[in-house]
Amino acid sequence: MAGLELLSDQGYRVDGRRAGELRKIQARMGVFAQADGSAYIEQGNTKALAVVYGPHEIRGSRARALPDRALVNCQYSSATFSTGERKRRPHGDRKSCEMGLQLRQTFEAAILTQLHPRSQIDIYVQVLQADGGTYAACVNAATLAVLDAGIPMRDFVCACSAGFVDSTALADLSHVEEAAGGPQLALALLPASGQIALLEMDARLHEDHLEQVLEAAAQAARDVHTLLDHVVRQHVCEASVLLGD
Amino acid sequence: MASVALSEAEKVYIVHGVQEDLRVDGRGCEDYRYVEVETDVVSNTSGSARVKLGHTDILVGVKAEMGTPKLEKPNEGYLEFFVDCSANATPEFEGRGGDDLGTEIANTLYRIFNKSSVDLKSLCISPREHCWILYVDVLLLECGGNLFDTICIAVKAALFNTRIPRVRVLEDEEGSKDIELSDDPYDCIRLSVENVPCIVTLCKIGYRHVVDATLQEEACSLASLLVSVTSTGVVTCMRKVGKGSLDPESVFEMMETGKRVGKVLHASLQSVLHKEESLGPKRPKVGFLG
Amino acid sequence: MLKSKTFLKKTRAGGVMKIVREHYLRDDIGCGAPGCAACDGAHEGPVLEPQPLDPASSLCPRPHYLLPDTNVLLHQIDVLEDPAIRNVIVLQTVLQEVRNRSAPVYKRIRDVTNNQEKHFYTFTNEHHRETYVEQEQGENANDRNDRAIRVAAKWYNEHLKKMSAENHLQVIFITNDKKNKEKAIEEGIPAFTCEEYVKSLTANPELIDRLACLSEEGNEIESGRIIFSEHLPLSKLQQGIKSGTYLQGTFRASRENYLEATVWVHGDTEEDKEIILQGLKNLNRAVHEDIVAVELLPRNQWVAPSSVVLHDEGQNEDDVEKEEERERILNTAANEKMLKPTGRVVGIIKRNWRPYCGMLSKSDIKESRRHLFTPADRRIPRIRIETRQASALEGRRIIVAIDGWPRNSRYPNGHFVKNLGDVGDKETETEVLLLEHDVPHQPFSQAVLSFLPKMPWSITEKDMKNREDLRHLCVCSVDPPGCTDIDDALHCRELENGNLEVGVHIADVSHFIRPGNALDQESARRGTTVYLCEKRIDMVPELLSSNLCSLRCNVDRLAFSCIWEMNHNAEILKVRFTKSAINSKASLTYAEAQMRIDSAAMNDDITTSLRGLNKLAKILKKRRIEKGALTLSSPEVRFHMDSETHDPIDLQTKELRETNSMVEEFMLLANISVAKKIHEEFSEHALLRKHPAPPPSNYEILVKAAKSKNLEIKTDTAKSLADSLDRADSPTFPYLNTLLRILATRCMMQAVYFCSGMDNDFHHYGLASPIYTHFTSPIRRYADIIVHRLLAVAIGADCTYPELTDKHKLADLCKNLNFRHKMAQYAQRASVAFHTQLFFKSKGIVSEEAYILFVRKNAIVVLIPKYGLEGTVFFEEKDKPKPRLIYDDEIPSLKIEDTVFHIFDKVKVKIMLDSSNLQHQKIRMSLVEPQIPGVSISADTPNMDIDEPERKKKKREK
Repeated sequence: MAGLELLSDQGYRVDGRRAGELRKIQARMGVFAQADGSAYIEQGNTKALAVVYGPHEIRGSRARALPDRALVNCQYSSATFSTGERKRRPHGDRKSCEMGLQLRQTFEAAILTQLHPRSQIDIYVQVLQADGGTYAACVNAATLAVLDAGIPMRDFVCACSAGFVDSTALADLSHVEEAAGGPQLALALLPASGQIALLEMDARLHEDHLEQVLEAAAQAARDVHTLLDHVVRQHVCEASVLLGD
Repeated sequence: MASVALSEAEKVYIVHGVQEDLRVDGRGCEDYRYVEVETDVVSNTSGSARVKLGHTDILVGVKAEMGTPKLEKPNEGYLEFFVDCSANATPEFEGRGGDDLGTEIANTLYRIFNKSSVDLKSLCISPREHCWILYVDVLLLECGGNLFDTICIAVKAALFNTRIPRVRVLEDEEGSKDIELSDDPYDCIRLSVENVPCIVTLCKIGYRHVVDATLQEEACSLASLLVSVTSTGVVTCMRKVGKGSLDPESVFEMMETGKRVGKVLHASLQSVLHKEESLGPKRPKVGFLG
Repeated sequence: MLKSKTFLKKTRAGGVMKIVREHYLRDDIGCGAPGCAACDGAHEGPVLEPQPLDPASSLCPRPHYLLPDTNVLLHQIDVLEDPAIRNVIVLQTVLQEVRNRSAPVYKRIRDVTNNQEKHFYTFTNEHHRETYVEQEQGENANDRNDRAIRVAAKWYNEHLKKMSAENHLQVIFITNDKKNKEKAIEEGIPAFTCEEYVKSLTANPELIDRLACLSEEGNEIESGRIIFSEHLPLSKLQQGIKSGTYLQGTFRASRENYLEATVWVHGDTEEDKEIILQGLKNLNRAVHEDIVAVELLPRNQWVAPSSVVLHDEGQNEDDVEKEEERERILNTAANEKMLKPTGRVVGIIKRNWRPYCGMLSKSDIKESRRHLFTPADRRIPRIRIETRQASALEGRRIIVAIDGWPRNSRYPNGHFVKNLGDVGDKETETEVLLLEHDVPHQPFSQAVLSFLPKMPWSITEKDMKNREDLRHLCVCSVDPPGCTDIDDALHCRELENGNLEVGVHIADVSHFIRPGNALDQESARRGTTVYLCEKRIDMVPELLSSNLCSLRCNVDRLAFSCIWEMNHNAEILKVRFTKSAINSKASLTYAEAQMRIDSAAMNDDITTSLRGLNKLAKILKKRRIEKGALTLSSPEVRFHMDSETHDPIDLQTKELRETNSMVEEFMLLANISVAKKIHEEFSEHALLRKHPAPPPSNYEILVKAAKSKNLEIKTDTAKSLADSLDRADSPTFPYLNTLLRILATRCMMQAVYFCSGMDNDFHHYGLASPIYTHFTSPIRRYADIIVHRLLAVAIGADCTYPELTDKHKLADLCKNLNFRHKMAQYAQRASVAFHTQLFFKSKGIVSEEAYILFVRKNAIVVLIPKYGLEGTVFFEEKDKPKPRLIYDDEIPSLKIEDTVFHIFDKVKVKIMLDSSNLQHQKIRMSLVEPQIPGVSISADTPNMDIDEPERKKKKREK
């Protein structure tokens, strides 16, 4: 059997998108009432929830408190039914820990942590359905949740993945495209300044192509920003209507 | 679980209200809160459901996987329950914090599902060799009281929504078997959830008991009784939880209430599920976006 | 931003996993017709012609586009490729189905689509908002696809109507499926079968011949008796294979006996197993190279491989009985030990049919349109085709494709594809042997050529990055005369510390062929340059092979250098690899180089360098042979061509000089050094070459043959084999040693490329090296290009790319390279054979001394040292009384009447060209000496004829 053709001669990807197009993104803020901030995002079939608690007192050992800024604590977990084959545990495995760490690094770069010294901010993300680009979906959801919690940030953090097939950079890889085993790049961008909060690259890619892939990911992240910005504005509008302004 | 700290006066207010069959949110003692049920919310599962009861938010995904039947029941498939108390619900569940509660709920689920709850024989593909294992994974997203009832409703809805691909066992002359999957995606087995029980938790507050207690009400209660009831009113399991004690008389009383309320609960759940189903596959999905 | 408005999900249950994939529908996909206002903004430019006028069809006079369904594309690709057929819409649904079902057809259709003259347009209907259909309840995938195709056809017709009502542009749906056609017509889509349409093209009657004749399955058992048992369906076969009832393997028909075949069962753990199939019914319509399922017969029905040579010559179809009789011949009582697992074909897992070259055997009935086609490859059965141009095709080499093989037919059905030209014509025959050996030989496409460097080319600053300038070194190349693709050059100089520096410089082809582009893909597909007697089929375009990569003298060239520091005892002290720029000072032939070394008068830099190399090479060779490297021999022939007619006028065996082995020695050394280096760096994905030790049973024939001459050949290790071969000398029979070496060569296994991560036996038996690869001929071997890339990455001179470090992709590549190399070898042999025929055609009949190489049941295989020619002498002829033959397998020997033949016996044979079978002109040999009444022929009369040219030749040699 012939393998999957990731990019047809006509320039269409397996799911019908063109190289630079994102999947359909839908998002909502304020999903839960009990948490300080929460958000839900769908990027195609990848669905993630993010919840933020804090800033609050340090939980557990006080020694962890940082004198000059807030401690950002992240946990990534992915529902046992989220993947094609059932996962045995939702979190605590190596991949989840790594994701948690990456999220933490990403948000330490974005949240104005020095405004809340000696306190803690919890960001919990939960992947409900995984179809590629889970890291990006989590970052985007977490951005909305942090905004929902009213925690000051330098900028949005917008993330997107990109791959490289047949000398073409593909934005926002789906699971099939990821599974094909080509190079993958995950990028978290602070769109206003164009600064990179996180960059991760798997598999080998020729140095000459890096710029092209990076640009595709950055462009996709900027597109994500436009969408998220819209979601936030919509949410604020709705909230103010409810408040009766 | 968002912890609630109640003052003595608040507790008295709640207890007295219950005494008068008038609860803080205006319900009677045997009234449930408004329940939101939506099925087929996670498309890569065999069946899924999300249930919201007040602030309690449960997502259940059922995945059918092929496996070998258990030795003692060679011609039956089986169900596996797993409950994940996500840190989403409360920071206390972070890391392994939710494991104890998760195990407790999963064990309860194992207990209330007995032989007649689901037709396990229909899950058998070929005796002793292949059967379907249904992994029922419960994800606790937010907790606003009455966990057990909500989870049961969600599990039942998810099982109702479950579609297991139909497989044929091809056997050749030598008796070797091969499994063939139908290439028609519509060709699948549905489970009958007629006999799947639901738990009705009865919270003893003062001298009376209430169903579907909120977090505040749970804080006023010392003991409660879990009664698992089928749609015909048969009690399949009963369990007392909480640190207080119950007198035998009230146990009977509570059981009767449980049966009565349970039947109504089943009936309305069933009608909601059928109504949703009748909308067909083109029904707009709300999920977490609504 | 996302352009699609709606999206739907497709659920695919594969295994037991539920897989959900998104499926976006778009409204920006153009219809491909020019001037369509609705699709103006679409991404693709118009591809179809605005007013397709030809071909004129009597069925649909209006201008129209064609829209074929999957089966039409799969089976009638020969028709679609015809220049007359243009303006075709290929649906994505169709293309994907083709892709899944037949890779070769998929490639062909892609080539057609890329050809702008053909105006083929691929319409992405699955992602078009108005043409996407969802699988409905109770509908299987095939039905859905059929419906999708009809929906698209209907959409097209309505869409085009909207565009211009007065144009009357139509889309004609072509399907051979009766039901589908009916449904289409019901839905108002103009639909025809392929046959109807092609027949309506009155201006192009020749197209009809190219139609594949497909009898519908229902009609299969229309008439005649059923000869073959039914093939089991695939699902049953797979089950049977799983349970072990059936075995899966590759069907390999016997070249010598059309009623016999073997099936190589590919097992995972145990060694490959061979199963014998005998008799037409057991072969059950399997064709050479098919993947089949076989059932083993009970032990009492097992047979031994027959040593009989049988060719299918029956013209008539009704001689099935005769066939059975022939089958009985095969079942002569055989030694119990000789019995091999025997089976019968129960079903076909995958057909590997390809278009076959061959000739038409015109039917005896004059008006008949049905004729038998005899393929050039004996392993392929004859094919029945229908043609009206039989007389025109007679005596021509033609190409025919198989369409099917019904149960009631003795022969498969097929259709005519192409006329190659007159039989015997050199061009035609070369074409035939290239096609038959699947050697890609079309001119390089524009896409490939576009990746060539622009001329005039020179080394730039950028090229020199990561590159050493070695232009000052006194480098020279030594090659056979007339060599234009020089891929290696050497140098040797004394260092200040008294040691020697030796450099092997290899053309830096990987500098020009960048991974993944069309040029690279085409080279990878070709795998190797194929050298025929008077033609070279390049792996890379000529600009590279004969110019930019060729290390010609006195020009600056890019190279990949392997440089050793050695002491005078040829021990390697240091080795380093570097990309370099060199300027060769001389391109020498072997003879020239030899002359320089030998002539005392010459003492220039080049000569000193050569002498140094030669000295070291001798030491290296000695050491290698001590380690047990084999020196084997195979008769190699070279033709002297007439400069005008290009006909061979003389043949001679290749001469070997010291300088040949000098170059060879350093190439081996470079290959081994590189192999070590890349394996060190890439333990999992180094491309290496191994030569497995042959199983002891392979040597049986050699040992037996030597024993008959009272010699002992030890075969336990390569070393002992080499030693015992060296000792095996007979003072009375000087040629014996060569014969033994020739025979030993036949015992060897094939050396193969492999990926180091997929294997753990790296040993190269023939070279007695623990590790080996190919590095030194990147111009003509693709493996070397990969090795260059690996080495470049290893030394940090180049970057890697994903495929290079994917061991599965590398393993696939190795598979192709091994196949191409094997085919190139076969093609080469076939070319030699053809030229030998031409030679003997001009030469007439000759009598020559020969040695027996093998003894068969009814024939002996002889080698004529003078021509390096091998041939078979048959002792059974059709119209002659059969001599008394006694075959002894043990010795082995063949007793004919009263004369016994052993291996290595000297005989005299008469050689002539047998043109009785036009298709297989062959060299025919008959026995002259020893004389056996009734068997041998007298040498008198023909000898008279040949004496003269004999003498002439000798003169010429002087």
